[in-house]
Amino acid sequence: MAERKVAVVGMGGAFPNCSNLDEFNRKLFSNQSLIRNWPEAEKHGKNIRSKVSGYITEDEMGLEAVPSSLVENYPETYIDKLDRIPAANLATADVGSIWAMIGALDSIKMAGWTEDEVRSENTGVVIGSGGAGNEILRKAWYSFFELGKKTRLGGSHTVDRTMVYREAANVACLIKNRGVCEAIGSACATGLGNIGYAYRLIRFGIQDRIICGGVEPTSLESFIGFDGMQVLSRGFSPEESSRTFDASRNGFVCSFGAGIVALEEYEQAKARGANILAVIDDYFNNSDGDGDMFYPSFAGQQRLWRGLLKDKNLKPDVVKVHGTSTPAGDAIELLSVVDILGESGYHISAPKSQFGHTLGAAGAVEFIAAVLMLQNQKVLPCLNSVELNPELETFQTSAQWQGPKKPLAAFRDLVPQQSFEKEINRIVCLNYGFGGTNSSISISRDN
Amino acid sequence: MSREEVIAGLVDILKTVRQINPEKLNNISEQTDFITDLGTPSTEMINIAAKAEQKFDVEFDDDDIDDLGSKVKDFVDLILNTKAKG
Repeated sequence: MAERKVAVVGMGGAFPNCSNLDEFNRKLFSNQSLIRNWPEAEKHGKNIRSKVSGYITEDEMGLEAVPSSLVENYPETYIDKLDRIPAANLATADVGSIWAMIGALDSIKMAGWTEDEVRSENTGVVIGSGGAGNEILRKAWYSFFELGKKTRLGGSHTVDRTMVYREAANVACLIKNRGVCEAIGSACATGLGNIGYAYRLIRFGIQDRIICGGVEPTSLESFIGFDGMQVLSRGFSPEESSRTFDASRNGFVCSFGAGIVALEEYEQAKARGANILAVIDDYFNNSDGDGDMFYPSFAGQQRLWRGLLKDKNLKPDVVKVHGTSTPAGDAIELLSVVDILGESGYHISAPKSQFGHTLGAAGAVEFIAAVLMLQNQKVLPCLNSVELNPELETFQTSAQWQGPKKPLAAFRDLVPQQSFEKEINRIVCLNYGFGGTNSSISISRDN
Repeated sequence: MSREEVIAGLVDILKTVRQINPEKLNNISEQTDFITDLGTPSTEMINIAAKAEQKFDVEFDDDDIDDLGSKVKDFVDLILNTKAKG
């Protein structure tokens, strides 16, 4: 079968400190930080090291938890104050699944798909999340294991609201598609991994249209694991806490969100007159292969780029980096990009510098940020990248180092501190995850 | 406790089940079926039973819940019989 082109035709989701996609778009391109002090973390005093997050409250998403009368502080279900999601679907959903359903409805509306198209055997749902725990699971387990209560007090919705592919399942039950329904999990590459997998399903003729993306619901359960690793940013004001590439960066900001996009086979989208937001050039993913769970791999990233570019001339105008604001990750990534693309002719954008690291949602939320860059013809900044290290990184001085021999400060011109206009025809997006997994996608304007 | 009082308590519980149309709770009788008449999803039946245990201060046997029908009468019988067992 001939390989097919894939178009991005819709998007939606849940975005830190924003009530909708329009607000997200406006705040990003006006150089705002979406990171705030997080009251839920502050409640725990010195037991939590980092107190800042790009979080989203239930109220900000128009949701209200209905407390159970059987288990203390247990959300029995949720009320959608804006009447977007029916009660029967809310009953089977955790907060992240509700965000996914809202994002799916917005994406379908933007795509302009008919009900017949949505309910087709050729329409799939591919959505995943990164964290394993949430409030529902913790309180249901506490009721049984610690309080010694009967299982039925937790109600009949602990499985559907906590299973690994809950977001995909809830979206599929809402929109009633008849094609695939699956979740890809690859830690902080999950969001892009799901979009990439969905792209391949369409490219190789298995589906015609897919709702896909990544989700990470606001969850102290997810936050505290990273806090305990001492890898979260500390010591800055909230808006200055995420500082990708800056010499004083000391960790990432743990954030939450959902990025949902509608993909469609290009010729079908074109034939029905769809507004094509972007075209996917290719997707490529791999593993470091060095046995290290956490530390980024320059060699793995080099192979990632070569796999994406192959022999094609895919010179990007912007590289949307993973750029977490961690000491090792940012340096390896910048040097890796420079080694492949050279020292000029493109710019680097790090959306995490504006809203933090949305974990399993990151690749999808940042994919949406990249599509917005194409639409606005503006580069998003590397906020707070005030000073790049004028000295060589320690690893650059080792005999084994094969990458660029210049300090990060030599590449200042690639790293903008503010959003700016320029012609953008192609963007490469990068995301990596624990376990040494690397993902990349190239998107272009429709010509 | 009278059967009418039990039914009134059950209606209070049903009002908390958001998948049930509240208008359908105006004319509840012993013959009303939770699933076919009220449109209650079958997954909610165990939640209703757990809330009934709390409201009427009883603890149902698992066997009785397994055998429970879906009419209001079935719930009233179970609650009163369990209470009678002490």
